[in-house]
Amino acid sequence: MILAAAASSFTVSPDTFGLLAPEIILVAAALVAYLAGAFAGFRHGWLLAFAGIAVAVVASDRQPGEAVSSVVCIDGFASFVRWLVLVTGGLLTLVQAGDSRLGIRRPAGTCEEAGTFLLLLAGLSLVVCTNDLVLLFVALEMVSIPTYVLLGLARQTARGQEATLKYFFLSLVASAFFLYAIVCLYGIGGSTNFADIAAAMRSPDGPGRLVATAMLPIAIGMAMAGAAFRLAAVPMHFYAPDVYEGTSSPMAALLSTLPKVAGVVVLARVLAIAGGGGAAAATEWSGLFWQVAAVLAAVTMTVGNVMALLQSNLRRLLACSSIAHAGYMLVGIAAAAAADPGEIGGWNGIDGLSAVLFYLATYALATVGVFAAITYLGHRWPVWTAQEPRPPREEVSTVADLDGLSGTNPVAAFAIAVFLLSLAGIPPLPGFWGKFSLVTAALEVDGGLAIDFSGSRAWFVGLAVVLLLNAAIAAAYYLRLIAAMYFKSTDRGVQADGGLASGIAMLLCLVAVAMVTFQPGGLFQAAGRAGAAGKEIHAAVPIVPGEQAGSLETASR
Amino acid sequence: MNGFSPSTHLIVTLACPLLGAVVAWVIGSRGLSAIRQSAVVTTLVTLVLAGWLVMRYLASPEAAVGEPYAVASFPWLVSSPVDGGAGGFDIRLSLGLDGLSLWLFALSALLSLTAVLVSWEAVKDRAIGFYSLLLVLESAMLGVFAARDLILFYVFFEFTLVPLFFLIGIWGHDDRRRAAAKFFVYTLAGSVLAFLGLLTIVLWNASHTGSLSFDIATLTAGLAAHPIPMTAESGWLQMWVFLALLAGFAIKVPIFPFHTWLPLAHVEAPTAGSVDLAGVMLKIGMYGFLRFSLPMLPEASAAAAPWLVALGVVGILYGALVALAQTDLKRLVAYSSVSHMGYCVMGLFALEPVAIEGANLQLINHGLSSAGLFALVGMIYERFHTRSIANLGGIASKAPWLAVLFMIFTFSSIGLPGLNGFVGEFLILAGTFQRAWAGAPASIAAAYLAMAILAVLGVVLGAWYMLSAVERVLFGPSREPPGHGSRGHGDHGHAPHGHDHHAGQHAAAKHPLDLAWFEWAALLPLVIFVFWIGLAPGTFLRPAASAVRDATLASRDAFATRVAADSPAGAVAKPDAREVTLEGKP
Repeated sequence: MILAAAASSFTVSPDTFGLLAPEIILVAAALVAYLAGAFAGFRHGWLLAFAGIAVAVVASDRQPGEAVSSVVCIDGFASFVRWLVLVTGGLLTLVQAGDSRLGIRRPAGTCEEAGTFLLLLAGLSLVVCTNDLVLLFVALEMVSIPTYVLLGLARQTARGQEATLKYFFLSLVASAFFLYAIVCLYGIGGSTNFADIAAAMRSPDGPGRLVATAMLPIAIGMAMAGAAFRLAAVPMHFYAPDVYEGTSSPMAALLSTLPKVAGVVVLARVLAIAGGGGAAAATEWSGLFWQVAAVLAAVTMTVGNVMALLQSNLRRLLACSSIAHAGYMLVGIAAAAAADPGEIGGWNGIDGLSAVLFYLATYALATVGVFAAITYLGHRWPVWTAQEPRPPREEVSTVADLDGLSGTNPVAAFAIAVFLLSLAGIPPLPGFWGKFSLVTAALEVDGGLAIDFSGSRAWFVGLAVVLLLNAAIAAAYYLRLIAAMYFKSTDRGVQADGGLASGIAMLLCLVAVAMVTFQPGGLFQAAGRAGAAGKEIHAAVPIVPGEQAGSLETASR
Repeated sequence: MNGFSPSTHLIVTLACPLLGAVVAWVIGSRGLSAIRQSAVVTTLVTLVLAGWLVMRYLASPEAAVGEPYAVASFPWLVSSPVDGGAGGFDIRLSLGLDGLSLWLFALSALLSLTAVLVSWEAVKDRAIGFYSLLLVLESAMLGVFAARDLILFYVFFEFTLVPLFFLIGIWGHDDRRRAAAKFFVYTLAGSVLAFLGLLTIVLWNASHTGSLSFDIATLTAGLAAHPIPMTAESGWLQMWVFLALLAGFAIKVPIFPFHTWLPLAHVEAPTAGSVDLAGVMLKIGMYGFLRFSLPMLPEASAAAAPWLVALGVVGILYGALVALAQTDLKRLVAYSSVSHMGYCVMGLFALEPVAIEGANLQLINHGLSSAGLFALVGMIYERFHTRSIANLGGIASKAPWLAVLFMIFTFSSIGLPGLNGFVGEFLILAGTFQRAWAGAPASIAAAYLAMAILAVLGVVLGAWYMLSAVERVLFGPSREPPGHGSRGHGDHGHAPHGHDHHAGQHAAAKHPLDLAWFEWAALLPLVIFVFWIGLAPGTFLRPAASAVRDATLASRDAFATRVAADSPAGAVAKPDAREVTLEGKP
């Protein structure tokens, strides 16, 4: 029924195509890749993917800074996230291109994989550009479905299939949760358009207010559950270690970054519609969003870090670490939800949403870097004598496999060490600036008037303490990896057969990490602008309460 | 000298070790001797630059008025606020020296040369990495003391852990991996809390002045104008911030009972690591108190001061008693560090000008004597492959000069008059006794008197454990330790080395086990300063005096207010009224 109602308002104006040019280019490149693979026997799908992403970057660079057209809204938030998605996508393309030479996959399949990956990127990019609940859901499915396909293609072992199935079913559950949230928001706003719903909630005497009082907690809870799966946050975190372990390293890199972007965007959007000071403050649920986010944040980071302490498999360990990082990000979301927009007066450092976006960027660089390095390392040299048959190839998969890496492959060891120290938040690496901005955002809640220890301020001081102590716990397991690489020795090195492309991805991440280390200002400022833009919903026209939602496209430029 | 402004001078001094680290990588293929020669040249050049900078500072007009010198500032993370408000981050790469940091800065440069020279023969495995890390560590240590921006300070403060982690973990002794991890995680856990405290200070200042400044001087002034409240209604906020900073600094110092990482890390570290750890890293915690806690959080500091004095005394006695029970020479020196840092803590939180100046000088003294002792223990270990006191003996007959230097540093450590340790300990104890007599309420006076007397007892214990160890190791019957003479030892990856190598260098020497030239070069500068500070302490006390007094003035006033509030008639004189001048001391 919703879909029918929404479909009636889907009159797409021509300039929408212009605004969606990067996504359209990605889809077109995906089609080219599919066709070239199927009919021309083209083997270099990742080359096509990289070219498609490059063209999409150019196209997104030529877009106006702020534009709204029917269901699409490009603002500072959208363009920042789109940049993040495209850059991460480019790096991931390199990582996967390297992996395709490992012989794990069918070499003929690269075009299909590359095409599917491009569709995923297009969907993710659409998630942040849309202004409409239905399109948001479609875009999220456009992220999920290619992910299932890629997971299935990545590993044709029993373990890999188990991982794919696990991810598939949980993802469906998460989608169902999010659908409930959409239904509730539609019930509150009487429209699928973000701006309409936000306006309905903010109008003091409309019907939306009454419904909101009853439905807002359900909507927020369901949206959080849906986003928690994508972020790999408690309570939807437990799939991560199994799935990461069962799949390939490049896919683990993808899973630990791109769905998190989707999760953060979904939370930011729901927050802007329903959770922020303006909207929810009118109901008795004003504190609900940030309280739930704060509790989930504290639990998630602690659970992730404690689980990670116990892991010996590399990808499991990094999965747990990615859970912990989801917890850190939720701190920023909670801070964004608790901050009262009216309170920020004479001074402000960074708001929660900007901090999360900044953190997401620094996290993505370091995480993709680690997985790129692991992909690049490929297999260990087997131990066998000439008389015996050659043993099966042994992938680098456990912490012990990294033993003595500083001797056998010093560049990769150095790169991994830098990425891990950044993830641990050791200054002056990007991860430190990320944690710095999150903690500052948390401490800034309530305007920094540090007198009252009751109320939200005490929560956020506590949250900052938990975050920082977790950073110290996390250092313990990151150091275990570094200790394995630098303090131990080995008699059998790694083959470094993961392909040149993944090596290049690793080096690119290293360069980017170095740039953010010494000049964090640029990224910081960009994230600041994006976060400020993402705090509100941009409407094409002033919304008249009660007016039919379908009127929006008439006012679009 | 035209064009070589003090600011450039400071930046060049900081960058020099980093450049040296790069050079070590580049020429690494030419072999061990090229690497270590380049490392020595780098640290020597850095030392000359630092020494020259110190002299320029002392001759400058800024030194007379206690202004920061050689100030340089570049934007690092400067953001303009998004929605038009004022503020936005203003994090800068800003550097400078003042009276508080001057000697610690110089000490870092001095001990880095020692650290490189004591590794001359000891480290041959993966030498490029070793010397590069030592040089990176030197830059970070110099940076801690030169930083004038809060974030920059924290970045250096924290970053020093990374090279030390690798130095301990790769080139340390048998239990090195555990020691490295414990050292790193333990210190990190404290310093993240300190980070939270520092951020709270920044945000508090921002909420009153409207600008998110991270400049330490601006923050000090801002917090003096708008102190963080220290009342029950405010939830004792200032005390919480103080405790957060304490968590970071107390672990670094370390103050009892946060010292448990220290013996492990010191004992397992390679000699160079121990020298840098004991010589400089421990001082960073005390420097943090002087730079942040006391000037910015005076009421909380004053409230906590008696407790910290007590913890200092416990540290003195505990460290001394545990040192007395040690059978391992290096552990003994490590625990003596716990004991000696107890004096510094006690002196600082006695909140008496004389004691504070003594504590500040004692930081340098302890840096010199403990670095010297660790270096000598390392040399003994290289010769005899044991650190067990029971297995050593009669070194004085085999290596007389080594024994002489060991005696000098021992006497410096136990505070023999005429050497540097005496000046610091004397001032600390004198100041604490003054505090005891000046504290009008009988309860405070008695407590401080008891603590001062216990600290004097610590001096006696210190002499006992050091001299009994010296007596057994240096004199006593000559022993052949079990491992003596064998080339390979242990399983910790060192290239084989031993006394026979020294024999080659000293073919004509009467005592083949005595100090080699590089060992002389490592220790002689320290010996010079041991005597110099001991004989002319004024030279070293004077440049720091006004800065130290200014930094602690607010806390001393707050303490006086507290005492006055406690005493019935308010008969307590302000501390400044009975200041003792230090001019003309021996």
